Amino acid sequence: MKLDTITVGTKQITVPYYRAGQGEPLLYLHHFMGVVGWEPALARLAEHFDVIAPFAPGWGAAKDELTKMNVGPLDLTLHNQDVLAALGVDSAHVVGVGIGAWLAAELAAIAPACVRRLVLVNPVGIYLEDAMGADPFAQSPAAPTEVLFSDPALRQKYLLDGRELVDALVEELLDLRAAAKFLWPIMETQVRTRLPRIKAPTLVATSERDAIVPAAHGPEWARHIDGARQAEIKGAGHLAELERPDEFARLVHDFIVADSVAAVA
Amino acid sequence: MKFHWFNLMPWPYLPDDFAEKHRSVWVDVDSRLFDPVKANRVYNDYLDLLEYAGDLGFDGLGINEHHQNAYGLMPSPQLMASTLARRTRDASIMLLGQSIALYDPPTRVAEEMAMIDCISGGRLIAGFPVGTSMDDNYACGANPALLREKYYEAHDLIRRAWSDPDVFTWSGQHYQLRYVNLWPRPIQNPPPIWIPGGGSLETWDFCAKHDYNYSYLSFTGYIRGAQLMEGFWKRMEQLGREFNPYQAAFAQQIVVAETDAEAQRLYEKHVRYFFSRCLHVYPGYADAPGYRTEATLRAGLGTQVAGQGSALNAAAQLSWQEMIDQGFIVAGSPDSVAEQMEKVARTLRLGHIVCLLHIGDMPNELCKASTDLFASKVIPQLRSVWGEYEDRWSPKPMPREDRAIPRDVSFSATDAAAPRQEVA
Repeated sequence: MKLDTITVGTKQITVPYYRAGQGEPLLYLHHFMGVVGWEPALARLAEHFDVIAPFAPGWGAAKDELTKMNVGPLDLTLHNQDVLAALGVDSAHVVGVGIGAWLAAELAAIAPACVRRLVLVNPVGIYLEDAMGADPFAQSPAAPTEVLFSDPALRQKYLLDGRELVDALVEELLDLRAAAKFLWPIMETQVRTRLPRIKAPTLVATSERDAIVPAAHGPEWARHIDGARQAEIKGAGHLAELERPDEFARLVHDFIVADSVAAVA
Repeated sequence: MKFHWFNLMPWPYLPDDFAEKHRSVWVDVDSRLFDPVKANRVYNDYLDLLEYAGDLGFDGLGINEHHQNAYGLMPSPQLMASTLARRTRDASIMLLGQSIALYDPPTRVAEEMAMIDCISGGRLIAGFPVGTSMDDNYACGANPALLREKYYEAHDLIRRAWSDPDVFTWSGQHYQLRYVNLWPRPIQNPPPIWIPGGGSLETWDFCAKHDYNYSYLSFTGYIRGAQLMEGFWKRMEQLGREFNPYQAAFAQQIVVAETDAEAQRLYEKHVRYFFSRCLHVYPGYADAPGYRTEATLRAGLGTQVAGQGSALNAAAQLSWQEMIDQGFIVAGSPDSVAEQMEKVARTLRLGHIVCLLHIGDMPNELCKASTDLFASKVIPQLRSVWGEYEDRWSPKPMPREDRAIPRDVSFSATDAAAPRQEVA
């Protein structure tokens, strides 16, 4: 799948993005590690939707755009609105994982007309004293993202295989740099105060084996969103769509198309 | 050449099994290992050593800033500097340094340093490091993505606050102040500014641009430091700077005894305490995402992946002779130390050496003995090195005879009762 590029907004942000499939538009907002190529989970979703998967400013090929974004939710949320507008999309189903789930929720709260149905998977952005999880920004520099997987060995498979080691490591660290800019020093964004503004039907899902977003975060997010439903993705770590592409795609599809949530995905 | 006496102020009571039982000496080090009552003596012993080095004629007395760190008990170097300003007479107050990006507003740093410069009669060296990731990002919560931007802006604001005689307004990206009007102001305008740093190109360019001293403060010694310093001098040359050895400073761990064998017998244990306990840092705190720039990151990872990386505590596994051979320490009799120190000065082309003569849990009497020998038998052999260059990076104090002399206090006369106990 080809990576396209557009330039959006008053800050002239370069946005690399994938777009494929037919159907209603679905905006996918990525996690800490960006969009990891044309992922199997996105390919499954593209069987049913017009899937748009942009890199946020600071990630992947957009690494140098990070300095244009101020901390806080506003710049990134206005940016996501700009991306949809530039692609000629008035509103879309919005699906986010990790930091992407936080930004999906912000978009739905701040610009509700853009968001049809909302899926938040392993959302970060609420500090829970009793369920802090591991610190994703204080890991061994030689293996900085093992903590994002249900099994540390999976990092090799999903992020390193087939790549030059230094390049892969630098990209991991730069992706983490981007995430850290918006989530330092603890992942508390005050999103709780904005969640009640969300009007879109919402599904909140957590992974069974996410070390940085413990399952207790699911109910906390759902509690602040009117009518939100919940699900769990068995066996997966934080990067749920990489580890469990079929279950992930089915969960998203069934909620959006049939308004149904399997008890356990 | 100039020789400065620097004290990290390590906590000297870390248990023997510290490295096995604890994850890190820094950031999340177990605070139950700290005993404030013992600290009363630790701080006073360490300050005694600094004052003593001043008496012996060391050019500068070095102190620095660390947070949540069991090998560096100085969260505020200004507090140490202020007492040294009163209780020493001639040495530079080498405040190396203050992480200026941590203080909001940074004019606070400008104020405190101005106070120290006034009290000391113009003896301050103002060190402006970015600071380590452990201190800035993890212990103090500074956002790594913004740290360097804030650092440069804080620097510009402090410089302007020291020099602009009028009330001015500051409208920056990170700091906004309607009224900046510094009281007091430093005697030196400005004090010599030294930049302690690692090997980043941006730091070197910054030193070149502003004519600042670059201070490479590592614990890995002069042999590993040689390549980095060569890079620094090469960069200065590229930027058209005239070579002057006083534009650089380098930290070296040193112990001196009557003989080489005596140096090992007396000091090895304390050196090992430093390398194996004090440098036991959890690698996850070494480098917050965004702390280093992409270019520096790429260069560093290249060497790591090629197997040349060295953990902070790499020396912990070495024999005494290997520590000397690899330059982690300079140790031995006065003559052999002088010979090694000349190598340090000449190969790295340094005008300023920051002497780490207190190491680990070294008790005061041992430290004084080593310091005495260094001052009386090593420094005189090396004093004239680089004599042909002008040192433009040392303080220019008020004339000695014009400086205020603090009231004489002699505690020993009135409080002779309490016998001195040394640390450890």
